[in-house]
Amino acid sequence: MFFLSLIEHKLRLPPEDLSLPLHKGIKKVLDGIFLDKVISNLGLCVSIYDIRNISGGFIQAGEGAPTYTVEFRMVVFRPFTGEIIVAKIIESDNDGLRLSLGFFDDIYVPAHQLPQPCHQIPDPDRRYKVRWIWEYDIEDTGNPEQYNIDGLDEVKLQVLNVSFPPLPIEQQEKPFAPMLVTGSISECGLGPVSWW
Amino acid sequence: MKIKEGNAGLITNFELLHLLNSRGAAKDTTRVMASVGRSEYKVYDYLVGTVACNQTKEHINEFLEKSQKFKLTKAEILSIINTRPSQLVELDPIVEQQEQRPELDMEELLELILQVLPPPPSETEPEPEPEPVDEDNNKTADAEKNVPDE
Repeated sequence: MFFLSLIEHKLRLPPEDLSLPLHKGIKKVLDGIFLDKVISNLGLCVSIYDIRNISGGFIQAGEGAPTYTVEFRMVVFRPFTGEIIVAKIIESDNDGLRLSLGFFDDIYVPAHQLPQPCHQIPDPDRRYKVRWIWEYDIEDTGNPEQYNIDGLDEVKLQVLNVSFPPLPIEQQEKPFAPMLVTGSISECGLGPVSWW
Repeated sequence: MKIKEGNAGLITNFELLHLLNSRGAAKDTTRVMASVGRSEYKVYDYLVGTVACNQTKEHINEFLEKSQKFKLTKAEILSIINTRPSQLVELDPIVEQQEQRPELDMEELLELILQVLPPPPSETEPEPEPEPVDEDNNKTADAEKNVPDE
């Protein structure tokens, strides 16, 4: 789920941070640049792990601040394919489920990756939203048990794919998500935690 | 920006929680004082709700040592530590190609997990909450969760 990445970055340390110890000042600038941002094809930056190396510190002509080259390690969030993660449902509609980890909201389970057979009923509390119901018939009685996939508890899902869509050129209906995680809950042991 | 090494090593949820703790992240309301960003706190809040919150270094080391004989891959070990499956059916999707791995005894592995890694926060005693309303909610939620297990 989380991993470290070694990154080199050239940054300008603004004069107001020069009174801080160098490490602290640079970490402050790095925090501002990277935290809570997605780097394409890498993942969501979570936290600066450590600063390995600081070099430079030259003041270039016409600038009022020194420029440093910093090598640091960062904690990055990107689940790997096949990983099992636990998330909360935030939306459930015709297309499937959308889940959130609290810090990352773009996890989708498309309708065909729900446990089969299943059907949907309209959500009584919210318009345009649905509830998915899994029909589980263990003894082939023709009268399957109904398991609700509702937002009450957490859902275990297996990650199928992580994609980084390119920046859209035109305005789109949905807000742009720089990283999309697609998952499946169709296998045994997956789905709402209370099922098992 | 130059990415020198995209993947310089996986870290477990526990290690990240430990890192944030060492920076001064805590559950109480003095959040503005700590040198932890708002987005980092979101991650912290997520991690506190997972099994990582009860784990210690000793648990992890003991598990790593004792699980060597199963010849698990790194990703499998990471998933097991992060999610702590408590039943065979939960362990099943984590471990791949079980038929081709004779040294892997799933039941023995499950027993090891249950023995070494601490249970998730919802199964341990709920912490006393200041508001009685919340406590009631917690208890009913726990009771519902426990029903299918029995």
